[in-house]
Amino acid sequence: MAAMEIDTESNLQRKQSVYQLMDEGFEIQKEMYRGQQYSQIYFARLHLMRTLLYSLLPNWKPQLPVCTVLGLEKGKECIIVGTLFKHMKLKPRVLDEYSKEKSAAPLVKPHNFVHQDDHLVLEDESGRVKLRGNVLLPSVYVTGIVVALHGKETDAGDFWVEDILESGLPDQIELPLKSGDDKYVVFVSGLNVGSSVSNPLQFQLLVDHITGHLGDEKEQSIAAQIVQVVIAGNSVEIPHGLLNGQNLASKDQSKMSEPIKELDILLTQIAAGVPLDIMPGPNDPANFSLPQQPLHRCLFPGSSTYNTFKSCTNPHFFELDNVRFLGTSGQNIDDLDKYSEAKDKLEFMERTLRWRHIAPTAPNTLGCYPFTDRDPFFIERCPHVYFVGNQDKYETRLMKGSEGQVVRLICIPRFGETGIAVVLNMRNLECHALSFGTQFSS
Amino acid sequence: MASSTRGGRGDVKGFFRQRKKSAGIAKPKGNKSSPNHSATLGSDVVQPAALISHASLDLTDDYHENEEVLRQFDMNMAYGPCLGMTRLARWERARSLGLNPPKDVERLLREPHVRADCLWDGRI
Repeated sequence: MAAMEIDTESNLQRKQSVYQLMDEGFEIQKEMYRGQQYSQIYFARLHLMRTLLYSLLPNWKPQLPVCTVLGLEKGKECIIVGTLFKHMKLKPRVLDEYSKEKSAAPLVKPHNFVHQDDHLVLEDESGRVKLRGNVLLPSVYVTGIVVALHGKETDAGDFWVEDILESGLPDQIELPLKSGDDKYVVFVSGLNVGSSVSNPLQFQLLVDHITGHLGDEKEQSIAAQIVQVVIAGNSVEIPHGLLNGQNLASKDQSKMSEPIKELDILLTQIAAGVPLDIMPGPNDPANFSLPQQPLHRCLFPGSSTYNTFKSCTNPHFFELDNVRFLGTSGQNIDDLDKYSEAKDKLEFMERTLRWRHIAPTAPNTLGCYPFTDRDPFFIERCPHVYFVGNQDKYETRLMKGSEGQVVRLICIPRFGETGIAVVLNMRNLECHALSFGTQFSS
Repeated sequence: MASSTRGGRGDVKGFFRQRKKSAGIAKPKGNKSSPNHSATLGSDVVQPAALISHASLDLTDDYHENEEVLRQFDMNMAYGPCLGMTRLARWERARSLGLNPPKDVERLLREPHVRADCLWDGRI
């Protein structure tokens, strides 16, 4: 075997991709709060999606008349379009705190508020009507979705639903699949730097692998095909005891900034070699309501000097070599998990795509900025990759739409707990897990 | 319960004061200046100024019939809620959502000396 030589001619070059940021809809710097209420965003959502549904009706049931909720006549079969509202028995209400009777409600709130007595109501500008029927399962739907319903008004004044039309997946630009080189995108979330559970060695191993400091030439050539790293939220965990609004002693102040400093050191190592996108998550030092604004540059004095470092909004929408990526740090799917049921998280993701809205429960149960003239969570073009961070485990599926759309759905697990990152091959949209363990066999 | 005949009359009544120091209740002086629209005619009763102005009791407003057109635009439910937006922003939203708002409203809104906010702004 030949001795190892440092061969300067065979320096491995990292592959590159053309990146295009499309987050303008999620930035709120230009918005000015003028005391508006959430009725504005619901109005914008209803009109946007109702226009879309009206255009789909001729292909669905062209023979039926369309009417408003107030224009319903008993026994007449028609189509109505409006926003769904789910009346939930177990949903916590602020007014319950003030009710005189001490109800039998449990002190420990359940994680999921679905109850078999929940019912759906359809609302448009003219009125609302209670929905009945076997087609519409309340456990599947949530407040905030705009749908078209075929049915008729009953004698009791309810609307008996016979069929439902959702917006469906939007159009997608077809990808020339299976051509070109392998180019990989690494997704990671829930790093939780600074928590007692996360192992810093695991994150360091991930950084070393991505930057090519790990392994032999074969391993390095695989790492050289990584063109983008995306961190989907919850990168730091600031000790909760410090966040009670009181003035901090200088010792506590440094304790609070240590996780961010540690994160910055590791991100600098990544940014020095690969384009990096970092999104805020529910536990990060960013605003609370969606869309979360990018983490400030001053938090990352080391990494923000690199032009490969990009702090992004949550949700995040970008294009790499014409492959469209759309993703969140998990708040939208976690909220759906509280107010509806599905067999797995991927099914929630599929539903949000079919409803053409990333976060239908915003602003009802998910914090949201009160937009007046638009709803930025409406999905205009179908992504090729849809990812959600901070989930319990790694799951992925290839979803197929009715018009030939193909979407790779990815649930990114929390790295601090699982040590698993996700790698996507842009050439064929195939996905695999990259797991790091630090077992020391004794 | 202490009655006035208990013990010496002077003792109890002097000890437990039966009347407040200040005579009567001090009414807080209304320091709010009367609203610019003197359509309430100086009365204390709260009346929605818009109501009176429509019944033409408006005396000092430079109230055009243009403002009437804009108020009708504000109240029109087809264009959505009006509070919290400028009228022009609401007109733009109506246009971009395909609701075809009347063009003369836009023309009026671009003129100077026109109230930019809806009629309820600041009153609710």
